[in-house]
Amino acid sequence: MSPVPQLRSRLPRFAEAAVERARLTVVPRRRTRAPRVPFVTLVSTLLLTGVVGLLLFNTSMQQASFAATALEEQASNLSAREQTLEMELERLRDPQRVAEAARRQGLVIPSAPAFLDLETGEVSGNVAPATSEGDVNIAAPPPGRPAELDPDPIRLEPPRNTGREAGLGAPGNGEPRAGGQGNSPRDNERRR
Amino acid sequence: MSRQRRLGRLRGSPLFRLRIGFVLIAMVLSVFSVRLVQLQGIDPRSYARMAAEEGTVDVVLPATRGDILDRNSEPLADSVDGLMVVADPLMTAERAPEIATFLSKRLEVDYFDTLERLRVEGSRFQYLARQVPATLAKEVVDDADELGYEGISTRRDPVRAYPSRDVAANLVGFLGTPRKNGAARALAGLEDTFNGYLAGRDGEARYEVSAGNRIPLGDNTVTEAVDGEDLTTTIDRDLQWYAQRVLRQTVLGARADSGHAVIMDRRTGELLTVADYPTYDASEPYDAAEGLYKSAALTDVFEPGSVEKVLTLSSLIDAGKVTKRTRFRVPGSLERQNRTINDYWEHGLLNLTLAGIVAKSSNIGTVLAADEFGRGELRGYLTRFGLGQRTDIGVGGETKGLLPKGEMWTDQTEDRIAFGQGLSVNAVQMAAAVNTIANGGVRIDPSLVQGTAVTDDGTEVGTDHATRNRVISEDAARQTAQMMERVIDPEAGVAPGAAVPGYRVAGKTGTAQRVGPECRCYDGSFTVSFAGFAPADDPRFTIYVVVHNPRNGGGGGSVAGPAFSKLMSYTLRRYGVPPTGTRPSRLPVEW
Repeated sequence: MSPVPQLRSRLPRFAEAAVERARLTVVPRRRTRAPRVPFVTLVSTLLLTGVVGLLLFNTSMQQASFAATALEEQASNLSAREQTLEMELERLRDPQRVAEAARRQGLVIPSAPAFLDLETGEVSGNVAPATSEGDVNIAAPPPGRPAELDPDPIRLEPPRNTGREAGLGAPGNGEPRAGGQGNSPRDNERRR
Repeated sequence: MSRQRRLGRLRGSPLFRLRIGFVLIAMVLSVFSVRLVQLQGIDPRSYARMAAEEGTVDVVLPATRGDILDRNSEPLADSVDGLMVVADPLMTAERAPEIATFLSKRLEVDYFDTLERLRVEGSRFQYLARQVPATLAKEVVDDADELGYEGISTRRDPVRAYPSRDVAANLVGFLGTPRKNGAARALAGLEDTFNGYLAGRDGEARYEVSAGNRIPLGDNTVTEAVDGEDLTTTIDRDLQWYAQRVLRQTVLGARADSGHAVIMDRRTGELLTVADYPTYDASEPYDAAEGLYKSAALTDVFEPGSVEKVLTLSSLIDAGKVTKRTRFRVPGSLERQNRTINDYWEHGLLNLTLAGIVAKSSNIGTVLAADEFGRGELRGYLTRFGLGQRTDIGVGGETKGLLPKGEMWTDQTEDRIAFGQGLSVNAVQMAAAVNTIANGGVRIDPSLVQGTAVTDDGTEVGTDHATRNRVISEDAARQTAQMMERVIDPEAGVAPGAAVPGYRVAGKTGTAQRVGPECRCYDGSFTVSFAGFAPADDPRFTIYVVVHNPRNGGGGGSVAGPAFSKLMSYTLRRYGVPPTGTRPSRLPVEW
C-alpha cells in the first residue's frame, strides 16, 4: 500500500530521518469517486430511447406507406369513377339525344328569329308562331339494304322484230315474247 | 499433466499454429477476392440489375391524352381511364364455361368467343375485353376473384370517347383500338394530324416494394408524365349537329350523292361548322365504309359554278372596269372560239345591268363583263381570293384545288373560269373566298383551331396565325354585296328560297357541271350550291352549302337555298344577331 517505491529501500540507511524527509513523493492522485449509477442510467436510457424511437419511427413510416398505398388506390378508383360518370354525362348531353327529347316534348325550331328589347319593349324581326312545319328531320335514315339482298335487275333483250314475230305479237309489247320465245343460249344463261 | 503435454505436442508450437492459421485465412481471403473481382470487375451490371429486380417495381405513369373541345369547351373527343381484361388460359381452361358465363353477363362479351379464348392451348395471354371503363373492369375482376376464378387480370387500355358520335366526326377523326402497350393509334382527322400534340409523354416511376407496399426509404425515382394538351377547335358543337342534320335532309331529299355545309364567322374567319354528308359515327367507326374517314369539305374538289361569278365581278369592280349599274346587252347565246356559251334558261336579247347578271346568274353576261380584264388579271385576283392554295387549317389530306396556270390558261379557259367552270375548289376554300366579300374585301385565313397548336409535321396552325389580306376595295365589296342581295329577291332573283324572314341576305347560287368519278369528264350530273352572308349590310356569318349530283332536277336556288336559309336563321338566332332594320337593296336589274 505504501506509495514508496521498493527501489529506494536499497539505499544505505543513514540519516534515515533526513532522507526520509527529503525524499520526493508523488502526490497521490485525487480520486473523486463520482457515483456511477446516474451515468450508466443516462447512457442506457439514451440508447434505449434511441432504439425504441427508431423502431417507432420506422413503424410509423411503414404505416404511412400502407396508408399511402391504400389512399393512392382509392384515388385512382375514384378518378376512374369520376371519368366514367363524366362520360355518361357527356353521352346524355349529346345534342342528338337532347334534340330528340325536346322533340318528344313538342319543342320546335322557329323558322326565323325575333328579338324583344327589354328596355324599350320593341320587337324586331319576323314575329310568327313557331310550327313543326318544315322542321328538320333529325332521325337517322334507316340503313339501306345490303347489296346481296338488292341485286341488279336481270334485263332480257327483246328478240329482233322479224316480220313473222311482229305479226304474232301485239305491237310495242316485246316483253312477253322475250320470256316465251327468246331461247337463244345467251338468254338462257341470263335467266339462270 | 502428461495429457496436457500430449495435447501440446499435437498442437505443435505456437509459431506453427499461427502459420497454419495465416494460410487458412489467406486461402479464404483469396477466395473472397476472386469472387470480388468476378462480381465487381467482370460483369457488375448484370448482378446490380438482378439485385434491383428483386423487389423493384417499374410503373408507367400514363400521360392523359388531351381532349378535343369545341369553342364552348364541350368535348368532341375525351379520354377515359380504361382497362383490358385478359386471361391466362393455363389457369382458366379448367373452369372455362363458368368463367365465360360470368364474363358474358358482366362485360357484354360473346360467350362462345370467350369460351374459346379461355381454352387456347399453349398460350398464357388472351384478350377477353378491350377498352372497358376502369371502374367496371376492376369490379368484375374483384368479383371473379371472390368467386374463386383464377387467371383473370387487367391491364391499362385507355378509352377514347366520342360523346357526340357523328357530330364533327369528319373533322375529329378517331383512334383505333390501342396497341398492346396501351399506346394510341390515331387513324383519321385531327386525332391524326395533332397526334403528338394531344398525346403527351408517358412518365415512369421506379420504387422498391415489399408485400405490395412501398418501402419508405427504399430506392424511389419518379419521372412525371407530361399530359397531352387539349385542342380547342372553333367548331360549335350544337351548330355542327344542326348543320349535319339539315345537310342530311337536303342531300337525301334531293336524292343526291353527297354534300358539304360550311359556316364561318365573318369577322374572325373561324369555322363554326364544317359538315359533310355522308359521314360516320366516330364512336363506331368500323361500322362505316373506310372511304368516309375524311373531311370531304377539304379533301374533295368540285367546280364551284356560278358562285364563283361574284369573285369575277367583284374583281372587275375593284379594277374599276365596271360598276353595279353598268349596262350590258346579253344575247341568247355567245360564240366563242368555236364553242357556244349558253345560259341555263332560254332567252332572247336581254338588257341587264351588272346586278341583273348576278341576280339572274347569266353566264353570257359574266363572260361579256370579264372581257374587260387584261391578261392574267383574273387569275391574280382569284389567287388572292385563296383559290388554288391549301387553307392549311390543320386537317390532313387537304386538296389545293385546281386553278389552271401558264399555257393551260387560254382565252377559252378564262371565259369558262369567269363563270366558275374549268377550275376546282374545296368547300372551305370557297367559303373563305366569299367571306372576303362579306368582310369588306379583306380575306381572312379560315381557321379550325383556337389559339395555336402544332401539327405532327411541325406547322403551327390556329386563329393566332390567321392573316388578313386586302383583295378588293371596300367599295367593290359593298357593291357586290348589294348585287348579291338581288339574288334572293322573289322577282329579280333566282333564289327566293334562301331568304331569312326579317333579315337582309346576300347570296349567290351555283349550278355547275360535275366531273363524274368514273369517266373523269362532265357526265351530265351537276353540283348545286349556295353561298351567302347575312345581315347583308353588316355581315356576321358566311354560309356555303354544296350538294353533289341531286337527282330531283333542282338547282342551287331550290336545293341548297332552303338549306342555307335554315342554317342562317338558326345561326343568327343562336348568336343573337338582330336584324339591322335597314331597307334591302333595290338595285335595278334591267334597263
